[in-house]
Amino acid sequence: MAESTPAPDAAVVGEQAPAGVVISELHKAYGRNEVLKGISMTVDPGEVVCLVGASGSGKSTLLRCVNRLEEPDAGTITVADHVASDPDVDLDAMRREIGMVFQQFNLFPHLSVLENCTITPRRVLKQSKADADAEAMAQLQRVGLEELADRRPDQLSGGQQQRVAIARALTMRPRLMLFDEPTSALDPETVGDVLAIMRQLAEAGMTMIVVTHEMTFAREVADRVVFMDQGHVVEAGPAAQVIGNPQQPRTQDFLRRVLDPTHVDLDD
Amino acid sequence: MTTRERARLSLGIQAGLFVVAVAVLAVVMDWQAIATSFFDVERIGPMFPDILVVGLKNTLAYTAVGFLLGLLGGLVLALMKLSSFPVYRWLATGYIEFFRGIPAILVFLALGFGVSIAFGWNLDSLQIAGVSLGLVGAAYIAETLRAGLQAVPKGQIEAARALGMPAWRAMVTIQIPQAVRIVLPPLTNEAILLTKDSSLIFVVGLTAGAAELTKFGRDGINIYQAGLTPLVAAGVCYLLITVPLSILARRMERRTSTKK
Repeated sequence: MAESTPAPDAAVVGEQAPAGVVISELHKAYGRNEVLKGISMTVDPGEVVCLVGASGSGKSTLLRCVNRLEEPDAGTITVADHVASDPDVDLDAMRREIGMVFQQFNLFPHLSVLENCTITPRRVLKQSKADADAEAMAQLQRVGLEELADRRPDQLSGGQQQRVAIARALTMRPRLMLFDEPTSALDPETVGDVLAIMRQLAEAGMTMIVVTHEMTFAREVADRVVFMDQGHVVEAGPAAQVIGNPQQPRTQDFLRRVLDPTHVDLDD
Repeated sequence: MTTRERARLSLGIQAGLFVVAVAVLAVVMDWQAIATSFFDVERIGPMFPDILVVGLKNTLAYTAVGFLLGLLGGLVLALMKLSSFPVYRWLATGYIEFFRGIPAILVFLALGFGVSIAFGWNLDSLQIAGVSLGLVGAAYIAETLRAGLQAVPKGQIEAARALGMPAWRAMVTIQIPQAVRIVLPPLTNEAILLTKDSSLIFVVGLTAGAAELTKFGRDGINIYQAGLTPLVAAGVCYLLITVPLSILARRMERRTSTKK
């Protein structure tokens, strides 16, 4: 299964080479409400890109267009060698290479933690129970939850559930991971555990697109930060530059509101 | 008088009225007549064991066939109602409105007499009862199943699809198992309703071997000269089916609600 261009530290991520993403002139509207107004961006294999911006800026929609949970209206998206925006693309095959982590975890409540991680490898990839269990336990160990394998999701804390959700995505050996506000629904004390695993994954060479409000994470882990506002990419560049020294007034304004400790944000 | 004293007085008056009412009933009622009309247990002895091994068995058989057909039809109708293709939705809505809106006894009559007149088919009582209950049950069950499928959060299907499951696979392994938990209590109630509706088969006339509980009760009135006691016996037999079912439904309801 070894790829010709193995990722750095490929043994940790899996044998799959990380995939890149190319998005060009992406448009998406809900009725008359235009959410994405011509987005173009490139994510290189192994790169970690954080999408930041106010709610309603279109960053989650952009992320969900990458694995076609949302249908783009116009423009093209390419993920590795899949043209995601092609109506005839084999969606299921493409999605198997793209892991996704949701704000609300979306673990399957009727299945145990282990079964959450093995159901797709077994039912879709037709892996044997032994193989799927072994892989799932390895991924649960990576997120530090192998001891909870037999629990039900509702017996876990939010942070634990999100870590299981990451392990579940990793059992499919994805080449790209999408994170849609993975820590926004968590209690503050469990946010760190989830971010630590994401950091570990980034260091292992996984391509990651992360919609987040965690500016510290973005600054420390992301290779690049993309700031979006009202359906446009306003500013993009190295994390230290966009967060540390933003050039655009809208970016400056947003960061001031997010980072200024004296400002009480409505979400807090 | 304080509020508490007033409440206590009101409770005392209610209890007193209740005691008086019971006492008056005990004196006024003709207990002898009630006993011979409704509870003449000795005379209906010969009803057993046939009322159980034939009557109860047939009631269960009619209900079981009806419920299974109703479940099958209901599932198809529910999926049609959720379809993105409007013609399916209209057809399902039309079916549901029709069979929910007419008395079940009309369906029994149509199948029992109409079909044999129109097409010359001779349906046996299991077919008439099973299909009639199935047709009516499907209309009710469809709405229950639709609500159950819709109650599964959208994020569940998104997560399954994002992992690479095809739509049918996500429905079979993720959506339907969760929907089943949601609909088990209301489905048990549908089963109770169908159990009672199975008595409507009496309108087409039943052979001895095909008699179900209500038929046993009605025939017993003429045979045993025990007043309406045979009907009481039949009623008790229905309760033997329906009370355990509702206990089961309540248990499941409690289990699913504590899960959340």
